[in-house]
Amino acid sequence: MLLKKMKLLNFRQFIGEQTVEFATDENKNVTVIMGENGSGKTTLAQAFTWCLYGNTDFDDKLVLNRNLERQLLPGNECVVKVEIDLTHGKTDYTIIREQVYRRELTGKIKVEKPELKIKYKKDGQQEFVRPYEVDFIVKQILPMELSRYFFFDGERIGNMSKEINKKGRSDEFAQAVRGLVGLNALIKALEHLKPTSRHSVIGSYNKDYDFNSDVRITQYTKEIEDYQDKLEKIDQRLNEIENEKQIAQSKCDELNIKLSQLPDTERLQKEKEKLQAKLEQTQNAYASAVSSLLKQFNKSAASYFSQSLIKNALESLSKSEKLDKGIPDIHARTIEFLINRKICICGTKIEVGNEAYNELKKTLEYIPPQSIGNSIAQFVKESESRTRYAGDFFDTFINQYATIRDYENNILQFQSDIDVIEKQMEGNERAAGVVQELRRYKKVISDRQHERDELNQKKGSIKTSLDRAITERKELTLRDERNKKIEVYRTYALRVFEELSLTYKQKESETRKNLEININEIFKSIYNGGMSLTIDDRYNIQVFVKDEIGISNDVETSTAQSISIIFAFIAGIIKMARDNSKKTDDIETVLDTEPYPLVMDAPLSAFDKRRIKAVCTVLPNIAEQIIIFIKDTDGEIAEEHLGSKIGKRYLFDKKNEFETYLMPR
Amino acid sequence: MLFDKEYTFYGIHAEKVRKLTFQFDKKNNSIFLSNVNVYKTAPIIGFLYQRKAELDKTPEIKPTKIFLNEMLNHLNDLKYSYQLIMLLDTKNESSFEERVNKAFRYYGNESEQTLADEQLFEQYVRGGIDVLYEKLIENAVNPEDYLKNLYDFMEEINDRYNSVITDDSILELCRLEI
Repeated sequence: MLLKKMKLLNFRQFIGEQTVEFATDENKNVTVIMGENGSGKTTLAQAFTWCLYGNTDFDDKLVLNRNLERQLLPGNECVVKVEIDLTHGKTDYTIIREQVYRRELTGKIKVEKPELKIKYKKDGQQEFVRPYEVDFIVKQILPMELSRYFFFDGERIGNMSKEINKKGRSDEFAQAVRGLVGLNALIKALEHLKPTSRHSVIGSYNKDYDFNSDVRITQYTKEIEDYQDKLEKIDQRLNEIENEKQIAQSKCDELNIKLSQLPDTERLQKEKEKLQAKLEQTQNAYASAVSSLLKQFNKSAASYFSQSLIKNALESLSKSEKLDKGIPDIHARTIEFLINRKICICGTKIEVGNEAYNELKKTLEYIPPQSIGNSIAQFVKESESRTRYAGDFFDTFINQYATIRDYENNILQFQSDIDVIEKQMEGNERAAGVVQELRRYKKVISDRQHERDELNQKKGSIKTSLDRAITERKELTLRDERNKKIEVYRTYALRVFEELSLTYKQKESETRKNLEININEIFKSIYNGGMSLTIDDRYNIQVFVKDEIGISNDVETSTAQSISIIFAFIAGIIKMARDNSKKTDDIETVLDTEPYPLVMDAPLSAFDKRRIKAVCTVLPNIAEQIIIFIKDTDGEIAEEHLGSKIGKRYLFDKKNEFETYLMPR
Repeated sequence: MLFDKEYTFYGIHAEKVRKLTFQFDKKNNSIFLSNVNVYKTAPIIGFLYQRKAELDKTPEIKPTKIFLNEMLNHLNDLKYSYQLIMLLDTKNESSFEERVNKAFRYYGNESEQTLADEQLFEQYVRGGIDVLYEKLIENAVNPEDYLKNLYDFMEEINDRYNSVITDDSILELCRLEI
C-alpha cells in the first residue's frame, strides 16, 4: 500500500475541504507535516484510522467540526468525509468514509452510521466495490489489528510498547503479522481447504455424496459434520485459554517482581524463585522420564512377557526328533517329474498306489514348498532377536521407575516448601495482598491448564471418532460410482492440504526467523547496548539483555528502548514485506506482499538527538513511504537528517480551536 | 490369514482397548501407545494367565480399529506370537508333531482347523485384554496409579514367569540345531 492523497471534509478541526498529497517518489519518499502541539497532528493521523475502520481513539466519538455542528439548523444535515487515494497490489483505490449528521426538529443531533465506499480503477474505468465486499478489501489492504503499528501515535507509544511486549495478544495479531510478511496466500489456501471445517472445500464434499445409495452414508456424514463442529469449537476455546493463561502469567510475573521489591519479603521471594525453578526442572525431568519409560515398555514388553514361552517352545523343539526330513536340493517338482515319468532314478517302476509311489508322495511333505524347516529356522531366529530385545528391560524398567518415584517425592517437597514461604509472606502485612492476588492468578493458570488438558483429551477422542467415521463412509461410498468420484476428489484435496500445511509450516518458521534477524538488525542500528529481541510463535517480542554470563531474562524496558523496539518491529515487518515483493522466482511468489507506508505521529519527543538521527537515517531506507507529523522543535532536527528524502512539506495553520488549515510549505 | 488385513476390536474389548490407550496424564502419556501395541501384547498375556474370552458385540459400544498398514508393519511380531501359542497350547492339541504343524505348516492355510485355531488365538487376545485391563486400568485414578499398576504388573510377571530365566539360557537354545 502506498498513500497518494487524503481529502478531508469537515473532519474535526479541518473545516471545509482540505487535501494533503503524500510523497510517493522512490527517492523522495518522506512527507513532513509540522505543527505545534494541539494543532491537529493527532487528528490527522486519526483520520486514516477513521477512514479505513470507522473508529478513532478520541474520547469524543463525534468527528464533525464543532462549529458546523453548532450552526446546524433543525431539519438540515452536514457531511463528514475522509477520502484516501492509495495503491495496493497494483490497483488504485479510493477509500471513502462518509457520515451524515442531522439536526432533528427537536434540536437533537442524529448521527448516521458511517458509510464506507471503495472505488477502484479497472481498465481505465472507475468502478465501485460491491458494498458487502468493502470491509473485506480493507482487511486485505491492512488488517485493523496491525494498523496501529503503521499509523502510530507518539503519545501512545508507551502503551504500544507494553502491548508489543505483552503476552497473550489475540491470535488475530499473529495472523495479521503472518499475513503482512507474506504468508497470506498460503493461509488462505489452507483455510479454503481445511478438512476440519464443514464450510471448506474438503468439508463441502460432504454435501455432494449421493445419499440414496445407502442411508448409512447420511448417518456417517451427519456424524462427521458434528465432529467437525465440535473440533472447531474446541480449537476456538483452546486459543482463548492460551491467551487467558498468558495474561494471568504476565500478571504473576508482575506480582512476583513486586514481591521481590518489598524489603521485607525480598529474601523470601528470592528463595521462592529458586525453589520454583527447581520445581519446574524436576517436573520436566519427571515428564520426560515417564514418557521414556512408557516408550520402552511399548517397545519391549511383548518380547519380555514372551520369555518363558520362548524358552518352553525352544526346549520342546530341541528335544524332539528331527522334524524335517527334507532331502537337500530336491524340490517337489523333481518328485512330480519322477512320478509322471513312472521310473525312479534308481530304475524302480512307479505306479499309482505301489510302494515306491507312496514313499515318494510322503517325501513331498518334507521338501519345498511344503517343508517347514525354513519356517522353524525363521522362528528360532526371531526368538533370538526377541530375547536380545527383552535383555535387561526389566532391570532398566525398575530403575527408571525408582527415578520417577524420586522425582515425585521431590516435587511434593518443593511444593510444600513453596507453600511454607508463601504463608510466611502472607504473614507480612505489606505483602499479604500481593501474595493473595498471586494465588488467585496462579489458580487461574492451573484451572486453564486443567481445562486445556481436558479439551485436548476430548479433541483426541473426537479426532479418532472422526477418522473412523470417514473410513467407514469411505468403505460405503466406494461401492457407488458417483460417490467414488467424490471420494477421489476429496482424497486429492486432502493431499493438497497436507502438502500445503507442510510448506506453510516451513515457510512460517523461516519467515519468523528472518523477521527476528531483521528486527534485531534494525534495533541495533537505532538502539545500542547489548540487547537482543526474540519472537515466539505467537509473535510476542521479548527483550533479552546479554550480560557477562550470557543471556539473562527479559528486562524492564525504558521509554527510549520501548520506542526503539516498536520502530524495529514495524520497520522489520516493512522491510520483509518489501524484500518479499521483490522476489520473483516461482517458489517465492507463494509469499505475496506489499510495500507499506509508515505514518508516525510525533514519535521523536522521547528520543535524544542522537537517536533521532539514527531513526531518521534508518527508516526512510526501510519503508517505502514515510509520513511524519512533528513538532516544530523536533522537526528541525528531523528535517536536517531526513534532508534529501523529503518530497512534500506541510504546515498546520491553526486559526482557533475549531479551525485548522493544511498549508503546503 | 489373520494378520494381513485391518483389525477391529468389538464391544467390551473395544472399550477396554480404548482405556488401555487412553491418555492418563497432561503430557498425553498412555500405557499403550496404540491399538496395535495392545494387540501385540494381549495374546501373550492371555496365554500366560490362561484367560480366554468370547467375542462381545454389544452394538452400543463403538468398535476400534487397527489400520491395515499398521497391521502389516507388525506382521512378523503377530505371526510369531501366534506360532508361539500354537506350539505350546497342549490343551488345544496334545500331539507335539501336530502342534508343530499348526504353528508352521498350517499357518494361514484357511482350512477349517486353522480357522478354529485362529479363533482360539483371538480368545487369548480378548482374555489378555481383560487381564491387562484388570491389572493396569481398573482401579487407577491418578496418573501415579497407572504407573504404580504397571510397575506391580511387571513385578508380578517377573516373579511368576521370568525370575528363573536368563537370556543366556534362551540364546543357548537358539544355537542348538533344531
